[in-house]
Amino acid sequence: MALMEENFETQEYKINLGPAHPSTHGVFRAVLTLNGEEIIKSENHIGYLHRGIEKLAESRTYAQFAALTPRIDYLAGALNNWGYVVTVEKLMEIEVPERAEYLRVIIGELQRIASHLILISSTCIDLNATTAWMYGFSAREGILDLLEMVTGSRMMPAYYTIGGVMDDLPLEFIPAAKKVIADLNDRLNDVDGMISGNEIFLSRTKGVGVITPEKAIEFGITGPNLRAAGNAYDLRKIAPYSVYDKFDFDVPVLKDGDCFARFSMRILEIRQSIRIIEQAIASLPEGPITAKVPKIIKPPIGEVYNQIESAKGILGYYIVSDGSTKPYRLHVHSPSFVNIGIFPEIAVGMYVQDFIATLASFDICLGEIDR
Amino acid sequence: MELINNIFISGANLIRNILHWIGFGDVFTNLIMSVVYFVAIAAVVTFNIIIILWIDRRVSSFFQERLGPNRVGPFGLLQSMVDAAKLIGKESIIPDAVDKVVYKAAPIFIFTVTMMLYALLPYGQGMSAVNINVGILCFAAISSTSTIAILMAGWGSNNKYSLIGGMRTVAQVISYEIPLCFSMLGVVMIAGTLNLNEIVLSQGKVWYVFLQPVAFVIFIISALAELNKSPFDMMEAEQEIVAGYHTEYTGMRFALFFMAEYANLFVLAGLGVTLFFGGWDGPFLPSWMWFMIKTYLMILFLEWVRWTLPRARVDKMMQFNWKVLIPISIANIFVTGIIIKLFHII
Amino acid sequence: MYGFGILKGMGITMKRFFMKKVTQQYPEVKPNLPPRSHGSFGFDFDKCISCNLCVNACPNGVIRVDSEKDENGKKALQQYNMSLGYCLYCGFCTKACPTKAIYFKTDFDTICYNKTDVIRQWKKSEKVKEDYFAEVAATTSEEPKIEQKERGV
Repeated sequence: MALMEENFETQEYKINLGPAHPSTHGVFRAVLTLNGEEIIKSENHIGYLHRGIEKLAESRTYAQFAALTPRIDYLAGALNNWGYVVTVEKLMEIEVPERAEYLRVIIGELQRIASHLILISSTCIDLNATTAWMYGFSAREGILDLLEMVTGSRMMPAYYTIGGVMDDLPLEFIPAAKKVIADLNDRLNDVDGMISGNEIFLSRTKGVGVITPEKAIEFGITGPNLRAAGNAYDLRKIAPYSVYDKFDFDVPVLKDGDCFARFSMRILEIRQSIRIIEQAIASLPEGPITAKVPKIIKPPIGEVYNQIESAKGILGYYIVSDGSTKPYRLHVHSPSFVNIGIFPEIAVGMYVQDFIATLASFDICLGEIDR
Repeated sequence: MELINNIFISGANLIRNILHWIGFGDVFTNLIMSVVYFVAIAAVVTFNIIIILWIDRRVSSFFQERLGPNRVGPFGLLQSMVDAAKLIGKESIIPDAVDKVVYKAAPIFIFTVTMMLYALLPYGQGMSAVNINVGILCFAAISSTSTIAILMAGWGSNNKYSLIGGMRTVAQVISYEIPLCFSMLGVVMIAGTLNLNEIVLSQGKVWYVFLQPVAFVIFIISALAELNKSPFDMMEAEQEIVAGYHTEYTGMRFALFFMAEYANLFVLAGLGVTLFFGGWDGPFLPSWMWFMIKTYLMILFLEWVRWTLPRARVDKMMQFNWKVLIPISIANIFVTGIIIKLFHII
Repeated sequence: MYGFGILKGMGITMKRFFMKKVTQQYPEVKPNLPPRSHGSFGFDFDKCISCNLCVNACPNGVIRVDSEKDENGKKALQQYNMSLGYCLYCGFCTKACPTKAIYFKTDFDTICYNKTDVIRQWKKSEKVKEDYFAEVAATTSEEPKIEQKERGV
């Protein structure tokens, strides 16, 4: 093909993979310079969903802001809530009772499964396998029903409080959870059978958007994307927080670093999360669900940074406190904001279709990129 | 049974007799009869589009574990009418910088080409509007002119996404016509004629799908590529180039593109049934009913493939065509020729 | 063989074709929501002691409590306002209330046509006044007036 183009006069043109596009997941804009269908240069433009959350935090008390945190990454809301609450507890040195920790793990892992199911379904529909998308979302409905049973909201639950959780599990939760997990396994096997062995899907995603482990660390990629590139870095194993050291689960690692590895990684992680939930339900201790916390929360003067393993990567909160009831400065280190930094590098030489497949497999959420 | 079988032929003869009785000459009668045939074909096209639209909404949603539209009419049968009424009622927006002539002419061309193909299919015993001796050749020739209409739509829209869609289409459609025609050649060699009616008659003993299974598979794959259905629907890839060549069309012009796609589906399924499954042949029921049943079964099969498979990449699709399909279809012709000669010797 | 993955996928699709569908025919069949579901708000007027804990717990300042001092010096509630346009339905107010005066109901069907209907109000007397809408618009001063003028409501 290169031979023909030497005598051929072609013209490059710029195209806007614009903010309003069916398969940029949210309002993400990429300005691509194309030659035919091959990308020569790509630039990321973000900021279309900026809502000023970090500025809003400066005029809300610590307890009030906990309601805004699930809205940052709206697909994995409970995990964002957890990250914030854990950071304030570290600043105030509050010890959370054990039953509350187990409940936090159950809801957190349920939310992780829901977020990964969105990635699996969205990747399928970006490659036009519409039926697999529907199966993934029907599976997610069961998880959302469980979340509604415990917290009251399907999406964006504000379940975690500073010192514990809000409510105990209702009586009908455990039988319902067993039923939902059985149904989830069934549908996950269906999606897996439809997609993972499909020759067309393999030809679309194998060898596309390859990331080497060195490049991943150089760009600061974390989460399932890093583990799909060959580096076994999971915060739940390396620096266990909460009660994760009491559970027996594996960290799946794949070596290829292409789109297919990132896609299969989410399916493997869902299976591990199901293991954690089953172990947590089986060994739930008795006890209080919240620690003794003062009515007005005034942390000591200082700053703190704490991070947890969210569904999309390492989520960190940085809080500067000046001794009053409202934070002086709050910053959210969101994983998707760091992950998209690698796009201009790997997009060179790809086709537009490959770029869409890579964008889909990276699992970005514009809410946490723009905040 | 004979009456129902020949109901359309008797109707046509009745009109011809009425015209003779009124006193028109021969030339005039033929002219008016061709107008009557045209109206009949237009009715068939509309009827089929409505039913395929219903299949696309209702039956396809069963694959996805949901009920489709079921409020408008029993089982949602009137949904197609309401969709058409909605599209007619939309405002006709023409962007400022498009090439006006090309932009407005493209939907008309594509719909006309598809309607012309309906005249060639044998819908029943002795029921084809035009009985040409070189039916298959005519079919292949007319269906390849739809490429220029799509390129007109892509170019005239003054939109980079439409241009990408149009270019992909030209590459895809003209490439996949070759295996389509070669797979039909095997059938022609066994039947010994290019006339569609006679091909149906010569399948009296055994259908050609059993004599030419490889050609059938190649025909299905090429038909999917010609019709822009998954896994080859690059032309209107909603997820990548935002509806491709018909991005800038709204209202009735968009409806024309839509209807042309569904009409094309019926025509290619009908051709497949004629060549491989015995056309209108079958016991008990009238011949045109058999044709309809077989064609709709084939359409359901194509929809089943469409909703299951993801989309292929452009260059892999072209590689598949030129490196796999064309050699296999040429090999099929060789092997068919050798076997026919051996048959004659024996 | 090369095409087996595709055939397996088509088999799965055909199997799901004949299984039970998950659609709920909505207006005839209402969904069965769990009791904790955040649908809409219910308020028990007699239980409220005007402690203002819900006002302080709310992230967006949705709640406004109007109370007067009684003959005994105790606070008596006159009016309880929630401008639901700003509400996140997070439920912090229901958790903060010591007497469980404000609670969630599972009835989620709360659409309305006017912007003034979004403001829910509980008053001491049960009678519905005739110029209810005008009074609601007049008493909720926290709505910036400019928004209402632009919309023409």
